Amino acid sequence: MFDFLIFICYNSVMITQEKLTILTESAKYDVSCSSSGSNRKNTGGIGNGYVSGCCHSFTPDGRCISLLKILLSNDCIYNCKYCPNRLDADVPRATATPDEICELVIDFYKRNYIEGLFLSSAVCKNPDYTMERLLLTVKKLRTEYHFQGYIHLKGIPRADSLLMQEAAKYADRMSYNIELPSEQSLKLLAPQKSKESLLLPMKELTQQKIRFTEEKRKGQYKGHFLPAGQTTQMIIGASPERDGQILRLTQSLYRKMDMKRVYYSSYVPIVRDSLLPDIPAGQLREHRLYQADWLLRFYGFTVEELLTENENLSTEFDPKCAWALKNMHLFPVEINRAPLELLLRVPGIGAKNAHKILTARRYAVLSFEDLAKMRVALKRAKHFITCNGKFFGAKNENAVRGLLAAAETQDSAQQMDLFHLLSTPQNALISLHGQL
Amino acid sequence: MIYFFDGTKSGFLTAFLHAFDDPDALLTSKKAQLTLGQTPVFIQTDESKAARALQRLRSFDCEFEHDLDFLLRSGMENNEQIAFRYVRFLAKIKRPIRNQLAESDVFAAVECMKKIGLEIHHFHGFIRFMETQSGVLYAPFSPDNDICDLLVPHFRARLPQYPFVLHDVKRKTAAVYDGKNYFIAPLDKADVLLSADETEWQALWKKYYNAVNIPSRERLKQMRGFMPVRYWKFMPEKQ
Ligand code: SF4
Repeated sequence: MFDFLIFICYNSVMITQEKLTILTESAKYDVSCSSSGSNRKNTGGIGNGYVSGCCHSFTPDGRCISLLKILLSNDCIYNCKYCPNRLDADVPRATATPDEICELVIDFYKRNYIEGLFLSSAVCKNPDYTMERLLLTVKKLRTEYHFQGYIHLKGIPRADSLLMQEAAKYADRMSYNIELPSEQSLKLLAPQKSKESLLLPMKELTQQKIRFTEEKRKGQYKGHFLPAGQTTQMIIGASPERDGQILRLTQSLYRKMDMKRVYYSSYVPIVRDSLLPDIPAGQLREHRLYQADWLLRFYGFTVEELLTENENLSTEFDPKCAWALKNMHLFPVEINRAPLELLLRVPGIGAKNAHKILTARRYAVLSFEDLAKMRVALKRAKHFITCNGKFFGAKNENAVRGLLAAAETQDSAQQMDLFHLLSTPQNALISLHGQL
Repeated sequence: MIYFFDGTKSGFLTAFLHAFDDPDALLTSKKAQLTLGQTPVFIQTDESKAARALQRLRSFDCEFEHDLDFLLRSGMENNEQIAFRYVRFLAKIKRPIRNQLAESDVFAAVECMKKIGLEIHHFHGFIRFMETQSGVLYAPFSPDNDICDLLVPHFRARLPQYPFVLHDVKRKTAAVYDGKNYFIAPLDKADVLLSADETEWQALWKKYYNAVNIPSRERLKQMRGFMPVRYWKFMPEKQ
């Protein structure tokens, strides 16, 4: 009988299916799901980090499930125009207790369903209260449930900065979403948030991380402080900013705030409002932004090289092709001699293939056939390279343009499939290794 | 000529020595590859010859053993032949060859090893444990390559206090971790009594899986590309 009672008590924190559904539905439009960047070790308890990230399942929309992505509550006092959980919306509301979330994480984790937790929340009652509950949950998870897997925590703007700093000691990664790419748009669509309220906490966390790393180095601090850094996200296509403006913001976030990733989420009209467009932002646009983002981070490009502030990225060509077509005087490059930086700028040659070429050419002078044998994609690249002095591309620029455009249409079905997973670790790998 | 060996590492190395000078050599341990009309040579494994061959090959490339181990684990039809051509090339060049990707024998072997690495990475994510009454976590699965034991370090590092069993149902073998040590054992069928909550947690997981999907953006081809259908059998969310 006594055993039975204990059993009931234990069971009482299992979240109900209904609550789980509401809190998941409300969280699912968030794009970031990456679980990479933490190398937290297991020192007793359950779990550890997986530096390269890990996908545990894929949903029919082609997205990866890595983290349990859930809201603590979807009961919001704010009224962001684009959000299905805003105060005015008529949707079912639910709030989970910290223990319900903790149990859920542990039981999902030990069955290997998930890599960790991505916890966020609507602003429930007030920012401080919400941040306190989030903090309580991650603290419990680490100290009472001894969970050492991945935790990504969303920060609540305008909450007390001490709460934020405390939370950063338990989370692997935190994010404050930029939401919209300009201050005017923010004022219009998310009136209770301001650029300051979003950027300030990011700045503070960046500075504190530097301080903690320093103290750790001197042996004055033992714990963790956001080992996987910060990320942010913005909605594309709900407001009028151009790609040039968006990518300038991105570049400064990478440079000044040390962001690990900037995510773009193409706008989906779930909510109707006279201030919002009725049509979803093109998914091609999101795809192009991610491609340009990769060029900034891994290919040594600056945004100024790619486009002006008032331009949009080309829909016809991927950003690297578009750049190369504007800079034909730099090509063709000799595959057996070009330095890595230049190989990386050849359309169609991705980081992985560039490295493959560097390795293989130490042993032999590479011919066009050798590249094909090594499965380096040549459809685009051949117009921009010579192999041992020989050129296999089209004769003049107009022909190159035509062929590249054709290649793009040919690939577009595949690419449209690809773009959507750019935010997953799996896809991060593919993009890193694949052809950009 | 077809050289038929017992599938072991020593067997392979013995067969390798016999086949070295035969330009049309085909090495295999799979009966299915014995085609009609061709008389195979049945290779008698010779441990001491194999040991000498191994030592010599290791002197050419200190990571050779790892490569051979991987190639022999592969579930590909012709993996042993790929291994043979790779090893023969190594024996001719006498220094590490794995970066000479323009050589087709090297490229084939490297691709084959990469597939195994990728499958290991896949199963770090796709393994599904169920909790049994005794608290042991049990995961049946059916990998393409023989990787059961290679998954243990990952799960052991993350779940040190949970005894678990990884059961390769195709090869009828299991890696068992008892909370301290691990061992490999033949296992045909496991009798599994689920814990009281197991079905409830599985149901919650299915709910989560369905709720987090965005139906208006369906991309089934892509889902299948990342998570091959043959793996679904053991994943509760795909039942
Ligand atoms: S703060 Fe704005 S975006 Fe966040 S849940 Fe509330 S209404 Fe939605």
